[in-house]
Amino acid sequence: MKLKRTIHQVFAIAKTDFLGITRNKTAIFFTLLFPLFFLIIIGFTFGTQGTGETSRIHVGTVNFDGEMIVVNNTDSQNSTIGDDFVQALKDANFTVYEYSTYGDKDTNGTAAYDISRGQIKIAIVIPANFTEALSYQYTDSLGTPIPTKASLDLYTDPSDPTGSLIAQQSVFGFIFGFIDHYQSIVIGQLPESFRDYAKVLADPVTVSTSEADVSGRQLRWIDYMVPGTLGLVLLWSGLNHASVAIADERAKGTFQRMIIAPVSSITVLAGKFVSCLAIVYLSAVIMLATGVLLFQVNLYWNIPAIVLTVFLGALSAIGLGLVISSLAKNVQAADAITHLITVPLQFFIGAFFPLSIMPEPAQIFGEALPFTKLVYAMQGIMTKNLPFEAVIPEILYMTISGLILFTLGIIAYRLSLKRL
Amino acid sequence: MNLNDIEVKSVTRRFEDTVAVDNVSMNVARGELFGLLGPNGAGKSTLTKMLCGMINPTSGTIKVGGYNIQDHPMKVKELLGVVPQDIVLYDYMNARENLAFFGKLYGLSGGKLRNRIEELLIFTQLDEKAVKRRISTYSGGMKRRINIAAALLHEPQVILLDEPTAGLDPKNKLALWEIIRTLNKEGKTIMLTTHMMDEAEELCNQVAIMDKGKIIALGSPRQLTKKVKMENTITILPDKITSKLMEATQKISGVKSSYRAYDESEKIETLKIITERAEDILPDLVSAISSVGTKILSVELSRVTLEDVFISLTGRSLREEEEQV
Repeated sequence: MKLKRTIHQVFAIAKTDFLGITRNKTAIFFTLLFPLFFLIIIGFTFGTQGTGETSRIHVGTVNFDGEMIVVNNTDSQNSTIGDDFVQALKDANFTVYEYSTYGDKDTNGTAAYDISRGQIKIAIVIPANFTEALSYQYTDSLGTPIPTKASLDLYTDPSDPTGSLIAQQSVFGFIFGFIDHYQSIVIGQLPESFRDYAKVLADPVTVSTSEADVSGRQLRWIDYMVPGTLGLVLLWSGLNHASVAIADERAKGTFQRMIIAPVSSITVLAGKFVSCLAIVYLSAVIMLATGVLLFQVNLYWNIPAIVLTVFLGALSAIGLGLVISSLAKNVQAADAITHLITVPLQFFIGAFFPLSIMPEPAQIFGEALPFTKLVYAMQGIMTKNLPFEAVIPEILYMTISGLILFTLGIIAYRLSLKRL
Repeated sequence: MNLNDIEVKSVTRRFEDTVAVDNVSMNVARGELFGLLGPNGAGKSTLTKMLCGMINPTSGTIKVGGYNIQDHPMKVKELLGVVPQDIVLYDYMNARENLAFFGKLYGLSGGKLRNRIEELLIFTQLDEKAVKRRISTYSGGMKRRINIAAALLHEPQVILLDEPTAGLDPKNKLALWEIIRTLNKEGKTIMLTTHMMDEAEELCNQVAIMDKGKIIALGSPRQLTKKVKMENTITILPDKITSKLMEATQKISGVKSSYRAYDESEKIETLKIITERAEDILPDLVSAISSVGTKILSVELSRVTLEDVFISLTGRSLREEEEQV
C-alpha cells in the first residue's frame, strides 16, 4: 500500500516536471531542440563527408584560356581544354561560379571578392596558354614541340581553414583525375612500343586509398555523428534539466510545498530523476529519428544495449546536474554554472570532432569524461555493430562515474534540504 | 476533555549564533482559530516551518494531533494542511491539474481524488472556463483561492495559513476571511500567522504575539486588550456644540477631559471625549447630550487594539518594526 502510494507520488512529481518542460518554449528549445539544432547544422555541413559529395564545394573558375596569346610568333586563341576543364568540374558535381577576372576583395563580381565574402571556398585560375601548352603547340624553328607546362593557380579562403582544406583536397583530387585522363590521351598518341614506358614515367608511383571495412557498410561522417550526438543529449537534456530541476522548484516554493506533504525527500528526488530520464530518452529518440529521416543514417539497432548505455550516461549527467541544482543559490546561478560546463564540454566528448585532432591535454581531459565513453560506446554499438562485450570497458567506466556522480548528487541534495 | 491539536513545549531553534525561536510554549485547542502575530523577524516563520516539519527544533517538542512531529513526521504531515504565504502553484498547469498533483502527494487517487477536486473547485467558485485555463492567467484572488484549496484536498484537521491575505485588495481580503471562518465553523483547527493586527482581531479567538523569538502575550484579543490600561477617545458629531454641552459632558463620571476639534478634511467640528472606560460611559454620555437639547449625528469609538498591546509590551509600533526590517 505504502509502496503503491510512493510510486504514485514519484510519477506525479515526474509528470508535473515533464509538463514543465513541454509547456515552456524556452525549456523545450534548450532541453530538446538545442542538441537537434546542432545535429542539423553540423550534419548538413559535414555530415555527408565520405560519399564523394562535392556539390557543397563552391569553386570559382577564372578561365583565361580563350584569350589571344602569341605562340610561335603567331596569334592563338584556343580555349578547348580550358573549357573542357571547367565543364568537367561541373560534371564532377562541384558548384561552379565562373568569373572573367580574379580581381581583388573590394571589386564586386570578381573571384577574390566572392572568396572574401565566403561565396566560394576556392578559385582556380586557368592560364591563357592552357590549351596551347597541353596540346604541344609550342615548337622550335624546326617544328619540334617544346615541352611547356600548363600552370593552374589556386586561391583559398584563409579565414576558413577547415572549409578551404576540404575544398582544396577535393579540387586536387579532381585535378589529378583530369591529369590522368590527359596523360592517357597523350600516351595513346605515342607509338605502341613507348606507351608502357611513358605510363610509368608519367605516373611512377600509384597510390590507392580505400576505407577499411569497420561496419560492414559504407559509412559517412553522419553515421558516426548521430550516435555521437547522444552525448550531447546527456549534456543538454540530462545535465541541463537536472541542474535547474530542484533550484527552480526551490525558488518557486513548490519544492517546499512538496516537502511539507507526506512525501519523503527521496521520493521527490526519485520523481525528478524519472522526469530527467524521460527527457533524456525523448531527446535521444528525437535525435536518432532525425538522423534516420533527415540524413538517412545507417545504424544498427541493439535497443537493449542502447537503452542501458544511455541510462548509465544519464546517471552521470543527472548526478552532476543535481549537485549544481542543490548547491546553486538560485535558478539563475544553476543555469549559468550549467552553461559554463555544457557549452565547452560538448566539444570534448568526441561527438562532432574526433579527440585525436585535439592537443594532448584536451585529449586526456576528453577521455576522462563519462560522456565521451558514451559516445564511443554508442558509435561502437550503432555504427560499427560491435558486440556488447566490445564496449564493456566504456560501460564499466560509465557505471562507476555514474554511481560516484549520482551519490554526490544525493549528498548535495540532502545538504540543500537544510537550507530550506 | 480539552483536546489540543497543536502543542508546542519549550521549543528553541538556533541558526548558528542566532536564536530565531526562544523557549516557546503554546497550545492550540481543537476547533480554535489561533493567530500568531508579530513583526517580520519575530520568529513566526521559523515556528511555522517547525510545525510543518520543514526544519527541526534545536530543543523542545512539537505535537500535532497528539503526534510528536519528530517521531511521526509523515502522520503529522497528513493531519496538516499548509497554505503558504506566496502563491505556490505550477503556473503552466490549470487549476484541476494543480489540485490533482497536490492530491496525489497526499495519497489521493482515482474517484476519491476526482470528487474532492470537484468539491474544492465549487468551494473556490471558479467557473469551468477558468478551471481549464493555466494558473498564469488567473487574477491574484483566484490564485489565492486555489492556493488554499490545494492545502484542503486531504481534508486536514489542522490548517496553517501563513499571511493568508498579504497583498490582497479589501474585497478579496474580506472574501478570504469568510473562507477562513467557514473552515473554522466546519471544525477545522486553524492557525494563521499575520502581522496585520486587524486581521487577528477580526478572525481569531486566541492569539499569541511574538517578538524576538519569544511569545510576549497569549490569550483572546479581548483579554489582551483589557490588560492594557490606555485612554480611549470617543468622537461625537453633534448638530451643534454649545458651552452647556461641554459642561454636561465634563460632569460625567469617568470622563477625563472633553474638547472641541475641527476636522480639516471633513470640514466639521466634533466633540472629543477622553476616557479610560469608553464602553462603560457611553450610555451616560448619550443621555447627557440629549438633556441639553443636542442631537447626535454620529459617534465614533476608538478602542484599544492589538497594535496598542504590542506597543505597550515592546515600546515599539509594528509599523516601525516593518520599516526597520
